[in-house]
Amino acid sequence: MENIVEFVVDSTRSMGAEYAEARLQIDLRESIILKNGILEASTFEESKGIGIRVLVDGALGFASTNTLRRSNIERALKHALKIAKASSKLVKKKISMGKGELGKGKVDIKPRVNFGSVDFDSRVSLLREADEEAVNAASICGVKIPSRMVTLDTWTTEKIVVTSDGANIHSITPRVALFVFLTVFHPQRGPIQRYFNLGETGGWEIVERWNLPRIFYDETYAVSKVLMEAVKPPDGEMDVVLGPEVVGIVSHESCGHPSEADRILGREAAQAGETFLKPDSIGLRVGSPYVNVVDDPTLKSSFGFYLYDEEGVKARRRILIKEGVVNEFLHNRETASVFGVESNGASRSVAYNREPIVRMTNTFFLPGDYTEEEIFEDIKDGIYIKNFMEWNIDDRRFNQRYVGLESYRIENGELKNLIRNPVLEITTTGLWSSVDAAGKKLEFQAAYCGKGDPMQGIPVWTGGPHIRLRKVRIGGA
Amino acid sequence: MELNEIPSYIVNQARKLGATDVAANLIETKRIMIRFSNNEVTVSKVFFENSVEAFIMIERHKAATSINTLSLRNIEKTIKNLIKIAKSTPPADIYAPLPQGPFTYNPELMRAPEIPLDTDTLTSYVESAIRAALESGAVRAAGTLNAFKSRMTLATSGDVYASQEKSGIEISIRAFVSEYATGHAVSVAGKLEDFNPEKAGREAGEIAKAASNPKPGEPGEYMALLGPMVFADIANQVGSLSSAFLIETGQSFLVDKINLDVASKEFTLIDDPTLPGTLGSRAFDDEGIPSKRNVIIENGVLKTYLHNSTTAKRFGVETTGNAGIIVPYPWNLIIEPGNKSLEDLISEIDNGIYVTNNWYLRYQNYRTGDFSTIPRDGMFRIKRGEITESIRELRISDNVLRILQNIIGLSRSRNWIKWWEVEIPTLTPHALINRLNFTKSRM
Repeated sequence: MENIVEFVVDSTRSMGAEYAEARLQIDLRESIILKNGILEASTFEESKGIGIRVLVDGALGFASTNTLRRSNIERALKHALKIAKASSKLVKKKISMGKGELGKGKVDIKPRVNFGSVDFDSRVSLLREADEEAVNAASICGVKIPSRMVTLDTWTTEKIVVTSDGANIHSITPRVALFVFLTVFHPQRGPIQRYFNLGETGGWEIVERWNLPRIFYDETYAVSKVLMEAVKPPDGEMDVVLGPEVVGIVSHESCGHPSEADRILGREAAQAGETFLKPDSIGLRVGSPYVNVVDDPTLKSSFGFYLYDEEGVKARRRILIKEGVVNEFLHNRETASVFGVESNGASRSVAYNREPIVRMTNTFFLPGDYTEEEIFEDIKDGIYIKNFMEWNIDDRRFNQRYVGLESYRIENGELKNLIRNPVLEITTTGLWSSVDAAGKKLEFQAAYCGKGDPMQGIPVWTGGPHIRLRKVRIGGA
Repeated sequence: MELNEIPSYIVNQARKLGATDVAANLIETKRIMIRFSNNEVTVSKVFFENSVEAFIMIERHKAATSINTLSLRNIEKTIKNLIKIAKSTPPADIYAPLPQGPFTYNPELMRAPEIPLDTDTLTSYVESAIRAALESGAVRAAGTLNAFKSRMTLATSGDVYASQEKSGIEISIRAFVSEYATGHAVSVAGKLEDFNPEKAGREAGEIAKAASNPKPGEPGEYMALLGPMVFADIANQVGSLSSAFLIETGQSFLVDKINLDVASKEFTLIDDPTLPGTLGSRAFDDEGIPSKRNVIIENGVLKTYLHNSTTAKRFGVETTGNAGIIVPYPWNLIIEPGNKSLEDLISEIDNGIYVTNNWYLRYQNYRTGDFSTIPRDGMFRIKRGEITESIRELRISDNVLRILQNIIGLSRSRNWIKWWEVEIPTLTPHALINRLNFTKSRM
């Protein structure tokens, strides 16, 4: 396979491209869909093909094909060159590929338990056992759980990335992912819903470690309690503790996305939008000194794991906000060239037929030095938002809304009654500036980040410890 | 083996190996995309794709696959794997055989109009859209042009063998006068004569110019005028969540609402893939059922969910021709027009807000329909029947069913909408909504 990729890069260079990059990618995925305890489908998907990116006269062309005959590949690369050349007349500032620490070699993540050793029947049995625990938990709480939707995916991605300036990386990455959507119902109280994702890099041993029956029971029990016991939240200015699930989404939406250099340059302006950060925002204070947010693809077992990006650049931790100050943007080689820096290895693509673009991986708030007890203990009157359902943020990444799901009143440092749907609607700088404590214990959640056109939903982790916000406004239904 | 012989081959081989039902769908696509920002092309892309989706049942035992390595060896391996997986998985609750054909299809829907796929022509469309935006007062523009031609060849064990072509061309353009003053417009079409990139560029530029110097908006309940891009998003929610699969999973505010009033009488929503030359037209669904015009909501009353054979059997109804082997989908959404001009609608607003675009719609609860979404691009205050100023930084925080019930007027004119945020092609008017709730960040 490596020969094909090298052939493409050599041919493209000889046809006049200033830069060429080819990525052969194979994704093999098996999925189980369980709906209301009944198996809806067992599926497997194979996606194999080559994506070719070229730079001609300062313009970028991308072509992909899944037919790996030499004639088809030649057709694709000729199209990549032709389309780049045609569009070069609408390129005033010529694109170039910046520097980066290019790699050569193989990254092979070996599962301890191969997916092939676990048949579909066993997978369905596990999900059914977990599903039954959800039903049991609802029953104990005196509610019904009429709708349950569960998908369990195992998939392996193999890539060979070769660039005309020397990168050559072969990687094999197995992943597991679970998606759960639950609707709990009570005739007088109506419906309440909860969804969550689990996802890691590795083999079936991860699913065995998850203890799905326990997770399904706990999640259903918690959301049932919210349905039955939660009362109207307070309204006004108060101290708020955010749990790791909320801190994770905030770090992703209000730090990770604004820090993407392609957004800063306007490249996503008509889709996911731009950002309130500008090219000269490095050094800008956006939060309190307690705020430290990083993006790190090198975390072992993480859902967003990789050691080399799609341009062959060595991955590393990126410190996006350091002690409340914008420290670094996420770059690929194209944006690095514009900013006059080295790429920090943030180029990702979800499939062979998708252009690599600047992406997050595992974005999280760094732990502080508070115990959980210390975070809560001096709050006289506040709330704790453990997790959420609804959220969104504007396309400048400045006005966001998080609506709590499992949330509690805090009185004199102690958790009191459950409250229903507290709303935190706040600006990015307002949120980060109000942080005055971060816990020691770091937790992660899996998610799929959407960006690009065509859309690329890419696996990430979001995470953080508990953090405390002082005197922010809370509203709610 | 020729590509178009693969579906029948899969059906025959899987039947020989014990499958009771088989569907195999070959999809061949050539697609060109040109992306631009800051008035320049940022990247041009060309995609050549051939793939096969196959589904088998051994009575109640099911398995499905998607492959794109179409060698005979891989196809045979895939068929054996499908049989093995179906045999090794527990049975579903019901057995709904694939529909028995052969069927007759509308020949007009089998052929696709010619769409240019040469890069020079497509680049010239991008140029004309950008130029029009700049001439309307914008200082920069960004967007995507997308053109494709595809062919689907379906074979099933129900005596279906049919092939349909599709083509389309779309441009989505966002114009900027400043960071806060932006406008967005699209032109989407199944045939070239309906495609007008220059008009899209001009509209985006005009909205951006009108949105200059916006002031922070004030939260509260307002009578709201929703532009076609916003109302298309709402209609997409209704159309998508009328899928019977999502009714079963509780991911819809339309659960248990058949034959009930879910919207004001002004609102009729139709899924109509039978319109030739439109972006979402189709001759048949993924089970081979001839496409149908389905009225989802008629004068405010929910008439049907969208079904494939399996969901239809579970609900005790006929399939609506919206398979999706696993999940039924709408193909081509149409909102019936109202009888007012845009000016009439504006003149009816004493104290309101006009929203031209939105994005990032997320639910607190799909079952109740509680959600929020963020207006973006031009947003305007309307007082005493006139647009008075540009505003920014508000959020629509409301409930889909409440919005549908609060529709008090629709425009005569309609636009086809499809873009990054609106997946299903949707023909929609402007909509006047009574008492729409807006919120904003408080610090």
